Amino acid sequence: MTLFRSMAIRMALVYILLICGFGYVARVLYSVQISRHDELFGKAQNTYTTRIETHGTRGEIFDFGGSLLVGNVPTMDIVGDPANIYILNKKDDEKTETECRMIADFFEKNCENVNSDEVFRRLSKRSFISKDANGKEIERECHYAVIATGVKYETAKMLKEKVKELAFHGVSFTSSYRRNYPKNTMLANILGLTNVSYDTFVPIQGIERSLNDAMTATSGSMVYERARNGRPVTFTNSKSEPTLDGYNIFLTIREPLQAIVEEELDLMCERVKPHAAWALLVDPKNGDVLAAAQRPTFNPNDRGTMTPESSANRLSELAIEPGSIMKPFVVSYALDKGFVTPNSIVDCEQGVWKYAGRLLHDTHNVGKVSVSEVIKQSSNIGTAKISVMMGAKNLDNALRSFGFGQRTGIQLKPETSGIFRPLEKWDSLSVSRFCIGQGIAVSPLQLARAYCMIANGGYKVNLRIVDRIERGDDVRVMPVIRESKSIFANPTTKKMITDMMIGVTEAGGTCTDAAIEGFHVAGKTGTAQKVINGAYSNRYYASFVGFVPAEDPKFVLLVTCDDPTVGSRYGGSASGPTFKAIAERTLKYMYVQPQLSREEWLAERSAAQKALHERKVREDALVQARREARDRQLKEQQAKQTAKKSGTTVASRPASTSKSSTIRR
Amino acid sequence: MNQFTKKTNSPEPGAEPGRTQTPWVAGLIFKMAMMMVIIAAAFWARVHLNDKTEQLAREKNRITREIQEKRTEIQTLIAQRETLRSWDNINSKIKQYNLALRSVNPSQVRYMKRFEGQVSAPSQYSGDTRVADTSAGADRTSGEVQ
Repeated sequence: MTLFRSMAIRMALVYILLICGFGYVARVLYSVQISRHDELFGKAQNTYTTRIETHGTRGEIFDFGGSLLVGNVPTMDIVGDPANIYILNKKDDEKTETECRMIADFFEKNCENVNSDEVFRRLSKRSFISKDANGKEIERECHYAVIATGVKYETAKMLKEKVKELAFHGVSFTSSYRRNYPKNTMLANILGLTNVSYDTFVPIQGIERSLNDAMTATSGSMVYERARNGRPVTFTNSKSEPTLDGYNIFLTIREPLQAIVEEELDLMCERVKPHAAWALLVDPKNGDVLAAAQRPTFNPNDRGTMTPESSANRLSELAIEPGSIMKPFVVSYALDKGFVTPNSIVDCEQGVWKYAGRLLHDTHNVGKVSVSEVIKQSSNIGTAKISVMMGAKNLDNALRSFGFGQRTGIQLKPETSGIFRPLEKWDSLSVSRFCIGQGIAVSPLQLARAYCMIANGGYKVNLRIVDRIERGDDVRVMPVIRESKSIFANPTTKKMITDMMIGVTEAGGTCTDAAIEGFHVAGKTGTAQKVINGAYSNRYYASFVGFVPAEDPKFVLLVTCDDPTVGSRYGGSASGPTFKAIAERTLKYMYVQPQLSREEWLAERSAAQKALHERKVREDALVQARREARDRQLKEQQAKQTAKKSGTTVASRPASTSKSSTIRR
Repeated sequence: MNQFTKKTNSPEPGAEPGRTQTPWVAGLIFKMAMMMVIIAAAFWARVHLNDKTEQLAREKNRITREIQEKRTEIQTLIAQRETLRSWDNINSKIKQYNLALRSVNPSQVRYMKRFEGQVSAPSQYSGDTRVADTSAGADRTSGEVQ
């Protein structure tokens, strides 16, 4: 009985112990599998999973035809692992130092811009002090020391082989790329440039900046379980997010035209030695910028050539007083609204006119002439009189309808909207000055757009420099934004103003140098005084803008010289010849057939010359007749005075005698 | 006749004719062996598959690396090509070798009537600006070195 009892107790104890044991195990299992599951599972995952971040490439920039303007050149970065070099040399300080020195010397010898001592210093730094989450200083191993960055791909490939041969420890090569501008200075101010901050491109200006979001690549990642040797275990779950390259940008720029414009601009700079110069070639029908050049410029591949002057984007950021190239806008509005006709006579006051207490001058004396002659001879007074006749409100409407005071919509940032005061802030002089391009500041892009409107019959069109963006099959075309209604109510306005502008390049116009054989060239000169320290100086912006062929324009071309220092400072002589050179070559490039044969063209020129001669003869005769009348009056007065003294009356001479004597003189 | 000691090949009385009797142990062993074989085969197949997958993955990685390298080389060559075909470079070569190149002239463009071998009249190609120019200017400019 006692034996059974003691066994029963023992068995009960064993059962209790077993139950307790199982209970403990259950509790631990509950804790591990349920309560702390996420924490422990995460820890375990961390030990056997790896996450790799993959980077795409930044979008490239091409011209309209697909010629590369900004690309990516593959390079390699060479990095060392100081802690690993130490460990692989079996923690032998002396051996490690020797190896570091060998590595440093090797790369100095084989790479550009590598300093052996600097690399040695970096490789020798095996650890660094950092602070943990609690702010406690801890020593960490250093696994990253830059040896060289942006090494050319071929060089890096060769170095990689050599490093393998020499069995350097802890040296690795990582692929990277840098921005490359294969056309050097071509279009540099428009394309812009980027800097690099660690792995990220930081856009500085131009297209690189304004379309940065589209061009930036989207990073992807891959999470996978790895084997002991670090390789991914393929038959386990792995997650990956795709890497997306940036969009490639296709501009409206035509590289051959750009080359022509840049070349001619360089020749102009040699000829007139200006402070700066720019040229803009635009398709008036859709607002596509075909070429845009400026000087001084810089080479984005060589940052040493960059200065604030050379890197500025004058075409979209600069606002200047345009001068006489504003006149066609005012006159076209006046023609359209019926204030004047091409044959209306305007008295240009022989070169001096006082309005609102201030004198206004013309560069040469012009008398009573038609509105056509006002444009042809670029009379400030004639234009101002037309403007005064229209009134301030109409002038404001005219200039705003041509887009002044508004951005052109081009995909370039920043873009100035110019300086054009609201009507309420105009003074008494504004109406006579804005119309001749004084007191108003416009950008070259605004001017080109406004001339596009004249050339295309008054349809307001936004300028475009980006034609489309592409990423594989994903193509997005930038729309042409053109208003469906013309600003000209009168359908003949375009022809009237174009005919007047053709006169500018014909005999008696202000820029015969811009005439092109076989074509009618509609243009306008502008010579605007520069404002320096709030006052007009004796420095000028000499411009010529026009479109060819005048009847069916293929392009609008603006050429401006900022302060020409050699030769004439007028727009016609400084910028006119360059306009002609660019336009001629562009017409040939575009295969535009001449409108007139050589004989027809010469005949037209000689007819214009003859008409000019006849007009001059008429004017001379008129001037002489006036002189004659004045002389006669003087003589009559003298005779009267003499008669008074002598008491006798002298009969005045007959007019025919007087005339013949004048002719003899 | 002692029927318990008699050796006979005849089937047991009551047993179905033609059916052989196997001991239950052998049957069990056979069944287990079969199961083991199936399990081993499945296991082997899985290991083989994984191995194959690994091999293919390694091959894929190698080819990907090669493609990447080729792409890199192509990118480098494109950059070189674009530098070479820049107008700066072409212009410098023209000057270097003193090449007497002539600018294009629209007057040089002629359109031939198909199959008839005649120069077409400009009006026949309305809408196309590139039509034959029969003007004197065209004759003058053709062959002109600029």
